[in-house]
Amino acid sequence: MIRIKHFFQQSWLLIVASFAFGLLIAVANARWSDEIEWNKTEKLNRLSSALLPEARLELYAEVEIELDKGKKRKVKLREAVSRIGDRLGWTFEAAGSGFQDKIELVIALDKDLKTIVGYKVLSCNETPGFGDQIKDKYLREQFKDAPIGKFKPVKRGEADPEKTDSEIVTITGATVSSEAVVKIFNVYVEKVKGKIEELVQKKKGQISDDKEG
Amino acid sequence: MTKKGETKVALYKETLLAGLWRENPVFRLLLGMCPTLAVTAAVKPAFTMGCCVIFVLICSNIVVSLMRNFLKPHLRILMFTLTIATFVTIADLYLKAFVPDMSETLGPYVPLIIVNCIIICRAEACASKNGLAVSIIDAVGMGIGFTLTLCLLAGVRELLATGAVCEIAILPLLKEDGWFVPWAAMSMPVGAFITLGLMLGLVNLISRSRS
Repeated sequence: MIRIKHFFQQSWLLIVASFAFGLLIAVANARWSDEIEWNKTEKLNRLSSALLPEARLELYAEVEIELDKGKKRKVKLREAVSRIGDRLGWTFEAAGSGFQDKIELVIALDKDLKTIVGYKVLSCNETPGFGDQIKDKYLREQFKDAPIGKFKPVKRGEADPEKTDSEIVTITGATVSSEAVVKIFNVYVEKVKGKIEELVQKKKGQISDDKEG
Repeated sequence: MTKKGETKVALYKETLLAGLWRENPVFRLLLGMCPTLAVTAAVKPAFTMGCCVIFVLICSNIVVSLMRNFLKPHLRILMFTLTIATFVTIADLYLKAFVPDMSETLGPYVPLIIVNCIIICRAEACASKNGLAVSIIDAVGMGIGFTLTLCLLAGVRELLATGAVCEIAILPLLKEDGWFVPWAAMSMPVGAFITLGLMLGLVNLISRSRS
């Protein structure tokens, strides 16, 4: 009892302040979360449009992807359609651990789910001047038009000329961040492809059932 | 005005001006070097960082000053960090909500204000020992001093790196039939170190000649 009393005598200010500051942050977050979310969506649309120009993005479905160690994550699949309604490709958000913090990407796949159109960085807190080079053309261009599959990060000078489609040359000074991007692709792309194919088949089946009916 | 009132005004004036020159956080105390070197490639991000630091400094100094009589000596650093972290989080959320592009430009340096020594130094050296008015004035003086230094450094770097300040062309570029060749190095970390070093030397020269 004396110990508990001593604990509260010593730390009551800390406990009260923790609650008060926590409440303050919660209020600020609740007040501005809509604006933050809107900014994020606007950026996502802007980046997706850069990957698939002249396309309009429509939310196709929200699916659950199983990540490493049994973890699951909900992924919003967006269908990129032209003005006349033709499918131009697919985009989705993917995330993984970088050198310092979480890296979030927008990945675009072609309409036939055979190649990668490209990626853009939605958010990253990698070291400025080093890790944040994953935003640059050098790494992005290596994924462009590469067939969907597993990628292997290799160091400069170790790349096999015959495996240019599946090997990604990491950036000097940003090896961990480059490898993190490769890992995100390896974890997400094939699983997302499978989910999209499943959904498209399901939709086709439904349409044909409707016609027969 | 009574003598007591005059003394108070003199104290406030001295506290306010200390941050601008005598105890300037960057040039004299050499505190807050991380943002000083990292976000001074252009004036706009430097100014935004300065504003964030002013906000956090004022808020944390107010809170620390109000609770100074209840602080336990062995828990004071923990309380300071908790207070600072709260206001930094609020500043970060505000930037993300209303100035998203700037928030992205500043990247991790806004959350890193938590470990900015200027703020914890002012909480320890001033706010935990003084009343509300002195603490607020000290925060304003230190904050303005920090912001002006950042903007000065950023102004020099941006001008030499691009020939413009705040995207307003000042030096005619060679590629546009002018004479100025931009110094790309000034926008890189090396430019920050060189400019800061030269400015520190200049400030030392001025203070020596004045004394």
